[in-house]
Amino acid sequence: MSASAAGSLAAGRLGAGRSSAGFAAGVTILAVAVLVAVLGPSLVPHDPLAQALAAGNAPPDAAHWLGRDHLGRDIAARLAAGTRISLLVALGATLLSVILGAGLGLVAEANGRWASFVVFGAFDMVRALPSILLALTLMVALGVGTAPLVLALGIAFAPHMAMVARAAWRRETASGYVAAARVMGAAPLATLGRHILPNIAGALVTQAAIVVPRAITTESVLSFFGLGVAPDTPSWGRMIAGAARFAEAAPHAVLAPVAALCVVTLGFALVGDRLRLALDPLREHGR
Amino acid sequence: MSARLADVGLALLRQALLLAAITVAVFALMRVVPGDVVDAMAMEGSLDEEAVAALRADLGLDAGVLAQLRIWVVRALGGDLGLSLRFDRPVAELILAALPTTLALGTLALAVGLALGIALPAAAVLWPRSPFPVLVEAVNLWSIALPTFCVGLAGILVFSVWLGWLPVIGQMLLPVLILGIDNAGQIAKPLHEDLKEAATAAHIRTARAKGLSPARIVLRHLLPNAMTTVVALGGMMLAALIGGALTMEVLFGLPGLGTLAYQAVSGRDYPVIQAVVMVFAAGVVAVNLLADQLQRALDPRLRR
Amino acid sequence: MSSTFHASRRGLIGGAAAMAGLGLLDHLPGSGAHAQGARSGTVKIAVLGLDTADPHRHTGSIAVQQVYVETLTSIADDGTVKPFLATSWEVSPDGRRYAFTIREGVRFHNGRLMTAEDVRANAVRVRDQVRGGWLSAPMKLVESLEAPDARTFVMTMKEPYGPLLNLLSELWIVAPESDGWAQTIRTPIGTGPFRFGRWTPNVSFHAPAFEQYWQAGLPRAEAVEFSLRDDSDLSLPLRAGDLHIARIGYDKLASVKADPNLEVQFMKDTTWWFWSFNNRSPRKPFDDLRVRRAVSHMLDKPAFMRFVAGDAGVVTNQMAAPGQFFWDQAMHEADVHARPNEARARALLAEAGVDPARTPCRIVSWQSTYPEIAVQAERQLGFQVEHLALDDIGAQRRLGQYDWDLAPFASGPRADIFLRFIRLMSDGPNVGLWGGTRDAEFDALVKQAVAAVDLAERRRFYLAAWQRALDNYYTVVIGHAPEPIANRRAVTGYSPGFTWGQHRVDGGLAHAALGARS
Repeated sequence: MSASAAGSLAAGRLGAGRSSAGFAAGVTILAVAVLVAVLGPSLVPHDPLAQALAAGNAPPDAAHWLGRDHLGRDIAARLAAGTRISLLVALGATLLSVILGAGLGLVAEANGRWASFVVFGAFDMVRALPSILLALTLMVALGVGTAPLVLALGIAFAPHMAMVARAAWRRETASGYVAAARVMGAAPLATLGRHILPNIAGALVTQAAIVVPRAITTESVLSFFGLGVAPDTPSWGRMIAGAARFAEAAPHAVLAPVAALCVVTLGFALVGDRLRLALDPLREHGR
Repeated sequence: MSARLADVGLALLRQALLLAAITVAVFALMRVVPGDVVDAMAMEGSLDEEAVAALRADLGLDAGVLAQLRIWVVRALGGDLGLSLRFDRPVAELILAALPTTLALGTLALAVGLALGIALPAAAVLWPRSPFPVLVEAVNLWSIALPTFCVGLAGILVFSVWLGWLPVIGQMLLPVLILGIDNAGQIAKPLHEDLKEAATAAHIRTARAKGLSPARIVLRHLLPNAMTTVVALGGMMLAALIGGALTMEVLFGLPGLGTLAYQAVSGRDYPVIQAVVMVFAAGVVAVNLLADQLQRALDPRLRR
Repeated sequence: MSSTFHASRRGLIGGAAAMAGLGLLDHLPGSGAHAQGARSGTVKIAVLGLDTADPHRHTGSIAVQQVYVETLTSIADDGTVKPFLATSWEVSPDGRRYAFTIREGVRFHNGRLMTAEDVRANAVRVRDQVRGGWLSAPMKLVESLEAPDARTFVMTMKEPYGPLLNLLSELWIVAPESDGWAQTIRTPIGTGPFRFGRWTPNVSFHAPAFEQYWQAGLPRAEAVEFSLRDDSDLSLPLRAGDLHIARIGYDKLASVKADPNLEVQFMKDTTWWFWSFNNRSPRKPFDDLRVRRAVSHMLDKPAFMRFVAGDAGVVTNQMAAPGQFFWDQAMHEADVHARPNEARARALLAEAGVDPARTPCRIVSWQSTYPEIAVQAERQLGFQVEHLALDDIGAQRRLGQYDWDLAPFASGPRADIFLRFIRLMSDGPNVGLWGGTRDAEFDALVKQAVAAVDLAERRRFYLAAWQRALDNYYTVVIGHAPEPIANRRAVTGYSPGFTWGQHRVDGGLAHAALGARS
């Protein structure tokens, strides 16, 4: 499956590349998210872990702006703390997938057909399994917690990065200007550094903008199934999982993290569109 | 012609190796996982340590990993996928019982996704001033921003609990719709762009100048050219669909392969996990192969 | 459009037949089979799962088996043991010889009459072929199993074994000609009110009524269908009408009670919550009794039980539920942890010289919500808490490594109190949840309780053993609550029993029938 088709599944679909309003909205969303992540719980005067069993599922009021969850914990504080966790996990996983996927993939490509065959064969293996099943199996093997989660997600998304990196590499090395540079006597490494890598990086960044929200969502699903981060860690997925049972009695408890999830995912998509146009304009499919 | 056959043959070989590698990998991975099905039994019943050891020996779990793998492979090649450690039933039986549900869910969702995903952009191109382009955007946005399990939860709440229109357990209408719309959203926008671009091509303008009806133009000229896109995306769609189906199955209590896999992983039922992973992988591999070959057939530029 | 007014008679009859087949006509007044003795309806129920078709090899989830296989004795709603397939029994004065009179006229599902030889064959099978299960302990003590005539079955033990009669309520009598008897039974031929119909693992189990069941007039329903899915919230399908009877969580109690179509009943034995310390190889400083006391003072038991079970919960410090025979009022009133005492907790820690901020505390639990309460309590005390919430098997394994400090868990109803005490014994099965206690004196006291023939004496020994557990803080009981089981009002005659078993001497699914409305 061509990497360009993979990319076109999400990038460019919002038309934000052509509209500055969309891009601006996306950047705003992400900036707010990062700000909340950095400032964290200091934004809200409540401890995200403090329970108040008698006040479970309390609706929003002046003291608790988003109400309380089933254990009486303040939802706004948990949302603020959770933003940091969800973003960190997703970014960590994406970074890991770049290193594992693109790193291994490029090394394999540069080292000839057999290396490429083996490494990309392994990646095909990983890709052949539905990511949920893969993540489930990995989590059960690695145990619960943030580190195993990041590892599992990194492995699950590594193949995407590998495919994108390889496609970009092939495109670059086949293109005319590289050959021209070689003819003109430029050293191979210099060619690599000045021409090839920056373009690959561009493709990777674009792909990252797709992978990060997928990592967030996958973490949510895993936490929903009881795997994922530790139980009282307020990642969005955990919050949704905990509040889902009480969706009837306390819709606010499940709506808050769901809204956060959807809005931030949207933000990434909007930003990703423009990134794609800026960094990866030579895409095969033109999409 | 023989080059094409060689192509296909090589691809098949590669995928077969892939499946073999997956088998070994999953086998090894499961053995690394702490706890096994005997622990599950020990949990609920009252097995003392002597009984635990005996049970493990009974089930063949005390042999080395390689030995177990060899036994499994030999049996599997002969068509015997072993017995479920938890239920003492043939794994093949469990899988065959679960397969129709997953196939039905996947096929129906794909059908809904393709139908909606092609019809909406086509309509949007035919009637640009209608609500259809907005619908394309909406469906696009849906598939980007709304995770299917969230929508699934909301759906259960609204349609089963509040409105009481649908039973909670075991109905496929909601999961099919949710997955279908999600899928449609993945191809609607790219297809729309494709169609709009193609509509500006010279021969199309000629056709319109000649007075051909817009519907005919879309159906006979635009869509066939867009098939490459659809196939490329459809292949990925189906692969992604299988993963989405797993979540939906567990959420809606559908007795398909997804639920089987989830419970097998939780219950460390190795033979079932092994077999289910193989089936999933084989399915994805088959779909990828098919889509790849279709693409090459449709787009001469992709042929080597 | 006009064609609807010309529906043919044939069409009408065909339509009516179709509707009857779909059970839709049952909703019309005056229809439905309520003639005397006629069975009606398929009762749809979801309680626990079914792991095996071989009743002797059950691995603990025993709610379904009872509808197709039965036992010599049965636990009544008040927890006492009553005759079932045995009509009476005689115990020798030294407590070692049990002679059961086997009921006449009991047929297996294949029509054959049950005899004492069948009972003996089942006991022999459990003793010789089955490893594990609650009966393995008493089976080791068996000296002989005899069936001197068709109506008498004699069991002789090497030493007196108090819980035997209660445990026999889980020795199911299956016809030896059942397919798979020599290895693993595939299709059990039992004596129960329903037959073993069609089993789809983890999905459903369908059991049609047995026409020749030995209790006249039963079962009242045509069939029973168990939903075996792993659904965490069964109140939804119950309210939607997909299920007639289902266990529900306490958190759904309010919404279920508010529904006019549903009624809530409770099981007669309780589920109890506790937290255990690592008793096998405790890590510092949790080997210090003062630290254990401090930790226990921190937990708000009443708030915990209110959160977990609402009004249905009750705080106590014993494994027997308040009001039961083996529960002691004085011991209950002496519970110093009945209310939280943070000041005392901190004082004890200071006295023990422990700085919680520098002390790790590893808590292992399942992935439920209630452990988070314990986790937060410890965190508030200042400990560096690491909480491992694992699935069943992961927790099992981790507990067995004994590298943890605290384990909050819950455990369900049992046929005999001994099955709770056995978890704190040195050679007990699956003791991880209770810290892997190895206390010879405790073992001795429990063994004496088991051997005691007189009930009052047995109670004394059990209480003495439990006092040791209390003094050493092996496991701290938080409270008890009975499991809620809700049913649609259209179901008549159903009541939950002492344990999860869905068929017993004084009630269960055999008595359940569907009314005109479902």
